[in-house]
Amino acid sequence: MYMIPILIGVTFLTFMLFNLFGGDPAIRFAGKHATAEQVQVIRAELGLDRSLPEQYFFFVKQIATFDYGRSWASKQLISTMITDGLGATLSLTAPAFFASIFFCIGLALFSVYGRGTVFDRGTVVVCLGLLSISSLVYILGLQYLLAFKGGIFPISGWDPSWIGRWEYLMLPWLILFVLSLGPNILIYRTVIMDEAFQDYVRTARAKGLAEKHVYAKHVLKNAMIPIITVIVIEMPFLITGSVLIENFFGIPGLGGTLIKALNDSDFPTIKAFTVISALTYMVFNLLADVLYSLVDPRVKLS
Amino acid sequence: MNRHISHPSSQNTAASVRQFRPRSPSATFVQVLLAGAVAIALAITGCTKKRFDENDNTLNLVLRANVKGLDPASANDQYSATVIAQMYEGLLAYNYLKRPFTLQPALAEAMPEISKDGLTYTFKIKKGIKFHDNAAFPENKGREVTAQDFVYSWKRLADPRNVSEGFWIFDGKIKGLNEWATAVKNEKANYETPVEGLQTPDSHTLVIKLTGVYHQLSYVLAMPFAAVVSREAVDKYGKEFLNNPVGTGPFVLEKSSDWVRNSKITLKKNPTYRTDLFPAEGMPGDAEKGLLVDAGKQLPFADKLVFNEIIEDQPRWQNGLKGNFDWVEIPKDNFDNAVAKEDRTKIVPDLAAKGLTLDITPALDVTYIGFNMTDSILGKNKLVRQAMSKAFDSKTYIEKFLNGRGIASQGPVPPGIDSYEADFKNPNAAFDVAAAKALLEKAGFPEGKGLPEFTYEGLSDSTARQGAEFFVQSMAAIGIKVKINSNTWPQFQEKIKAQKAQIFGIAWGADYPDAQNFFQLFYSKNKTPGPNDTSFNSVEFDNAYEASLKLAPGVERTKLYTKMRDIVAEESPWIFNAHRLGYKLVHGWVGNFKWTEVAYDYPKYIRIDPKKRAELGNKL
Repeated sequence: MYMIPILIGVTFLTFMLFNLFGGDPAIRFAGKHATAEQVQVIRAELGLDRSLPEQYFFFVKQIATFDYGRSWASKQLISTMITDGLGATLSLTAPAFFASIFFCIGLALFSVYGRGTVFDRGTVVVCLGLLSISSLVYILGLQYLLAFKGGIFPISGWDPSWIGRWEYLMLPWLILFVLSLGPNILIYRTVIMDEAFQDYVRTARAKGLAEKHVYAKHVLKNAMIPIITVIVIEMPFLITGSVLIENFFGIPGLGGTLIKALNDSDFPTIKAFTVISALTYMVFNLLADVLYSLVDPRVKLS
Repeated sequence: MNRHISHPSSQNTAASVRQFRPRSPSATFVQVLLAGAVAIALAITGCTKKRFDENDNTLNLVLRANVKGLDPASANDQYSATVIAQMYEGLLAYNYLKRPFTLQPALAEAMPEISKDGLTYTFKIKKGIKFHDNAAFPENKGREVTAQDFVYSWKRLADPRNVSEGFWIFDGKIKGLNEWATAVKNEKANYETPVEGLQTPDSHTLVIKLTGVYHQLSYVLAMPFAAVVSREAVDKYGKEFLNNPVGTGPFVLEKSSDWVRNSKITLKKNPTYRTDLFPAEGMPGDAEKGLLVDAGKQLPFADKLVFNEIIEDQPRWQNGLKGNFDWVEIPKDNFDNAVAKEDRTKIVPDLAAKGLTLDITPALDVTYIGFNMTDSILGKNKLVRQAMSKAFDSKTYIEKFLNGRGIASQGPVPPGIDSYEADFKNPNAAFDVAAAKALLEKAGFPEGKGLPEFTYEGLSDSTARQGAEFFVQSMAAIGIKVKINSNTWPQFQEKIKAQKAQIFGIAWGADYPDAQNFFQLFYSKNKTPGPNDTSFNSVEFDNAYEASLKLAPGVERTKLYTKMRDIVAEESPWIFNAHRLGYKLVHGWVGNFKWTEVAYDYPKYIRIDPKKRAELGNKL
């Protein structure tokens, strides 16, 4: 139930921010030749001549009915824009995201397992190095080397079929994966490290439990709550995508759609995205709560 | 190598006594990773095929932004308009080869008959023109276009419910159309209600009655806004008409899946396209360039058009160099890699060796820094505006920010348009810091003393910010302080339209090749939120502008245009900056390439040599 007041708060904030800072959309859509009268006609057509409470009521009504209408900028159905972009975004982000989680948790475990070794230290140094380079460098550099010069991957492009698109996604996946290594490994390493030397772990070792069981059954399991938290925080990224990667690789995802909507003061699209993002956060937070209770029975859902 | 370690945190404990042997994760793990990477790379490279087929007669084009929709009534951005123009046609179009730009009939049988008073245009429409075959028509067969279709299409533009950005082309110009629009809004009229200024004495005759002389009517009729649409299609698809184009043009969107939103649009040759021939005559030199080889041949030449939408410069450029697009604009950051340093009209030898050529064409635009003429200081001090204009070195700006790809503008009208004079030198646009200081002193503000700090409104991207810094430094050289406000595009527009922007950097691109399209930007009745962004107000200018509107193209009108140019040069509501030049690299397999900024139907004239593309392209 806590989701309802949060959603109302988000809608109100979005509405106010747009009205304060969004510019006058009627001017934007009237075109460069429009006279003051034409701007007024468009304002009326967009419903911007109504009072703010009336506009807000209309906004809330749209949210309640999940009917966001059409984009002001492109006149396309917003529901279609979102469904069109969602498949592309998820096929870009999800594989890299999940591959990164498993790889990074695994590597972090190895790193903690061999704490203080060259491997561990090397991992930290490499991660810090990866983290300190701008994402644009990876995108431009790998696109130039592996696609333009090497010809291993297509430079950019998209195939709407699920089978055909993988060819265009390989390099973006690789870049997203590389981009996620630095922050993910470091954070998982820290989280696992916190657990690895707790008293109960020492006790487990004292009981003669094999080291691999200590890590698998005790350390990893108890580190799952912070790990789940980190994953859940990153989850909405699956939906909003990566604008830079989408733009550089011509992937028609939601990130680009959102940026265009912001640049165009396309309020219907912005509000649809805001509500969907808020709902996504809330759903994933709920999911996190459920997962907490699964990995740690002491956590109770109320 | 395995080694023993003990954890510092567990030292001095019983547990620490037990040492464990962490296996180095390296060997097998890294080997598996490497093997996977190699397998993937091999799988991909193994799939690599010849990129170009010698039988593939597809024209591959690239757009810098996404196409929003395919309804002519919403053809407000040049990218959507470009795609729309392949599927829709109007009464008139531009001759592909002639310069200055010249109109010719498209769906009209001939150029219009114009009454002596210039108020009535009579068009005869070609017979036998068919709409694309589509499910909107009985048996999916496109029906013949009639004069009534134009009346319907133009009423759609006027209909306020359609919120068309294109109504300005007819707004207040056609008798009864504005009144009809108001009546429709109040539900007192419908599409059957006649409009006095749009009459169809027979199925193939269209009579347009104007409220006043409108010499630009022919130009706007060549814009995609004025293209003919079919009522059946609009009725069938409703609001989804923008995704289901049904026109008469040389290309057709065969199925909706051929448009992958925000990625690419594939159009096929229209099998029922009308007789449309490549021009028989060109300009001097065209024949030598091979531009008349296809004279008199049926259009279009390509079987398929693919419009790729790529927003970022680098992938666009790299795909262009690889031949994935048949030509590509040179991005700012790659200019020195593509154009010879010693001669900016030639490309570097290794690109020339790959069969690429360079095309340089004026962009028909003007970039400028506008002063808010309602501002209590800037609007009232011509000498201050002139001083600021003289303190701004547009040549250096063009070198620094446009790689030299521009002509320092002396007035609003760009080269290629009537009244542009290459020899004209605007005294207030001549960079001269000493003269600028003298003007400031004369204005009563020696070294800028007594002037407040001005605010320059610009956009927030890095190039715009650097350009703004250049302006600030230029003004600092004469003692004028300026601060920069960076804005998003909507914020920027709103500030200008609400007269809240004191100084702002912006550009104007031609809608049609008539100097009026640029001079309207100074007409007081067009003041902001109309296109006169500076709210410039001069009775002398207005009189000349209004007189010019009544004149057909000719010496008298050009004289008035020159007069208007001189007025704005003297009054300096703008700091004239640059007329930009487009630099494109064109592949060796592209024939009939003659770039145009106003005619969007150019793809039908382009001839690709697929064999040559396979030969050259597969080596790129």
